[in-house]
Amino acid sequence: MRNVWAETGNYKTDYRQDSSIFATRLEQLSLIGFLLALFLLPLFLSRTQMFVADLIVIYALAVLGLNIITGYAGLINIGQAAFMGVGAYTAALLAPGLPFWLTIPIGGLVAALAGAVVGIPSLRIKHLYLAIATLAFQVIFEWIVGHSPLLKQGGAIPMPRVVFLGYRVGYKNHYYFWYFVALVVLILLAFAFRNLLRTRFGRALVAVRDNDRAADAMGMHPGLTKIFAFALGAFYAGVAGGLYAYFSRAVVIEDYMLPVSIKFLAMAIVGGLGSLPGSFFGPAFLVLLDLNMEDFANWMKRLGLSYAGVDIASAMRPLTFGLVIVLFLVFEPRGLANWWRLVRNYFKNWPFRY
Amino acid sequence: MKRIATLLAMVLGLALAQEVHLMWSGAITGPTSDAGKYYAQGVEDYCRYANAEGLTGGLKIVCETRDDQYNNANTQRNFEEALERGDPAFLGYSTGGTLQLKPLIQEVGMTFIPASYHIGNIDPPNNDYVFLPIASYSEQVIALLEYIAKEKPGAKVALAVHPSPFGRAPVPDAKKAAAQLGIKIVEVQEMTKGLDYTATLKRFANEGVEYIVYQNVAGPVATMVKDAKRLGLNIKHAGAHYAGGPDLLRLAGDAAEGFIWVTSYYMPDEDVPAAAFVRKLGKMYQRPADTLESVHYPSGMLAAAIAIEAIKRAHKAGKPVTGDAGRAAVYQQMLGLDFDPGLAVGPVTYSKTDHVGVDKLRVLKAQGGKFVPVSEPFQSKLFRKVHYGK
Repeated sequence: MRNVWAETGNYKTDYRQDSSIFATRLEQLSLIGFLLALFLLPLFLSRTQMFVADLIVIYALAVLGLNIITGYAGLINIGQAAFMGVGAYTAALLAPGLPFWLTIPIGGLVAALAGAVVGIPSLRIKHLYLAIATLAFQVIFEWIVGHSPLLKQGGAIPMPRVVFLGYRVGYKNHYYFWYFVALVVLILLAFAFRNLLRTRFGRALVAVRDNDRAADAMGMHPGLTKIFAFALGAFYAGVAGGLYAYFSRAVVIEDYMLPVSIKFLAMAIVGGLGSLPGSFFGPAFLVLLDLNMEDFANWMKRLGLSYAGVDIASAMRPLTFGLVIVLFLVFEPRGLANWWRLVRNYFKNWPFRY
Repeated sequence: MKRIATLLAMVLGLALAQEVHLMWSGAITGPTSDAGKYYAQGVEDYCRYANAEGLTGGLKIVCETRDDQYNNANTQRNFEEALERGDPAFLGYSTGGTLQLKPLIQEVGMTFIPASYHIGNIDPPNNDYVFLPIASYSEQVIALLEYIAKEKPGAKVALAVHPSPFGRAPVPDAKKAAAQLGIKIVEVQEMTKGLDYTATLKRFANEGVEYIVYQNVAGPVATMVKDAKRLGLNIKHAGAHYAGGPDLLRLAGDAAEGFIWVTSYYMPDEDVPAAAFVRKLGKMYQRPADTLESVHYPSGMLAAAIAIEAIKRAHKAGKPVTGDAGRAAVYQQMLGLDFDPGLAVGPVTYSKTDHVGVDKLRVLKAQGGKFVPVSEPFQSKLFRKVHYGK
């Protein structure tokens, strides 16, 4: 008799099994263990380290949204930070009157609406031209915020402290509270998207990406699918923006400008475009790499290592960021998600080679 | 023998001295790092000097400069780290980073001294703990308008500002002040890094603009100044602290001739004790020539000097200088701080209602490839009236 806990390889015998979320029971168990570890993480981290953990989780949500648009639907998007900003500013405007568990999803919905509107050009244009259209949205967003007295012309809109079920969040437990909130939201939205991929809507995204004419011939609606992808990806970014607004205690335009959109693209590429785990690996890798390079640069600075007056220590961080992206593009375009796939396959087939 | 004993005692004293950490977080790389890297060096060098010369009241101040790459999230992480470590004060940098941190600064009661002289940093809400080292951009722009009103009564002026809170903040006050000075603000033009400003300048010329007042960074200002010279326009240029200075001369060359600039700092080549002190420190710590020429080098020194003075006074008063109590004690000292570190054109004075350190400004003019003062240190007459209504 087959032992479900000791399976090696895939033994799928029908289509239902093929669309299952988990290939083996062990995979299911390891995910539960990993999620449990994530929930226990705050027990071992200081406040500053929690800040970094929060940042990774919130960025992961925004990058997941970008992956839906660019990775799964194949629509290049250089305006993800602006979608995040729409969510953040919506949350900031509603925060004085509504609780965070309403302002954040409403922020996501408003961002989704913006995403649907921005997605309209994708009905006619694609590739580089679409990238420019999303870039235009990013610029328009920055211009509107910069000229809107309601949005403090890009200056800070302070976010209030929150009370949840009688639990008052102060500065000492701030990052711990928002870690749990962001993590729960990320898990729910990641599962929602994983499930969506198993439906015809999810399969339509990939089909349109691979060949929109063929998808059209097979009865899918490429136009609606593209707009749906933009709206969904923007919703994720909007929710991330709302979370970021509360997490950072203020909404400032600089957090939602073009360099942040570029950073999200870099995270998606390094993590692996068109991969759900890649959406988590990319932000975690780049945020932690930056921190480690900062420590390394400080160490070099203390040693006084410099050549011909060039401040090598200070140059290390931007240099590494650029180098990592180039190296991934050249040597591992499928990103960290591919490494993860190889490691998983190794253990799945173990003790056999293949 | 006596020398060795003294030296040993000093070294031992320093080794046994209580350590107090002071962090600066700013752009050593990334946007505005052309200012930030020199500012960081100023913080580092003043700190080393203060420790070596015993200006710390027996404390060992460990200054740490962090490159936040002009990224607010990095600034916030650095601030959190300083807070967690128990630092009594924090040296900040950008306008955005300061504005974002204000609610947290207010909540934890940490003295915060930014490199941004944005008036919103010290305006309500959440403004109790933020202290500007010198007069705000708004006051600088109004001081320029006052100078222009004297030089050319009834002048037509265009404002060319950075498209950000940093650039836009002085505009409403400048409009009010211009109305009282009899100056006409013809246009407010937002400008970022452009390749060519011919169209803008031609429009200004058609509108009869006589002066362009910049609240911007030196890069775009240099481009516009060069374009104006190329077009042969008879328009004068004037700018606030970050718009001018040696950076502008380097970028614009002889096109910057006649540029009117306002700041609270001395020029490195001036024959005054403050400039000599800056040169001395730069040479002592083997800084390259471009550091010595930068106005951001003494700016960093001034910020460090203010924080160190407040920490020293709190320590001398027998108060703790780290942790929650340390933050409170240093803040109390900041409220009564009145001293002259000899780095700017006036003394540093703070009170509960005055969060501007050096109130005095000077107008300088680019002449023969360097900025020379054309006014004595003065305080804007109109700024308080138009901004605070008093």
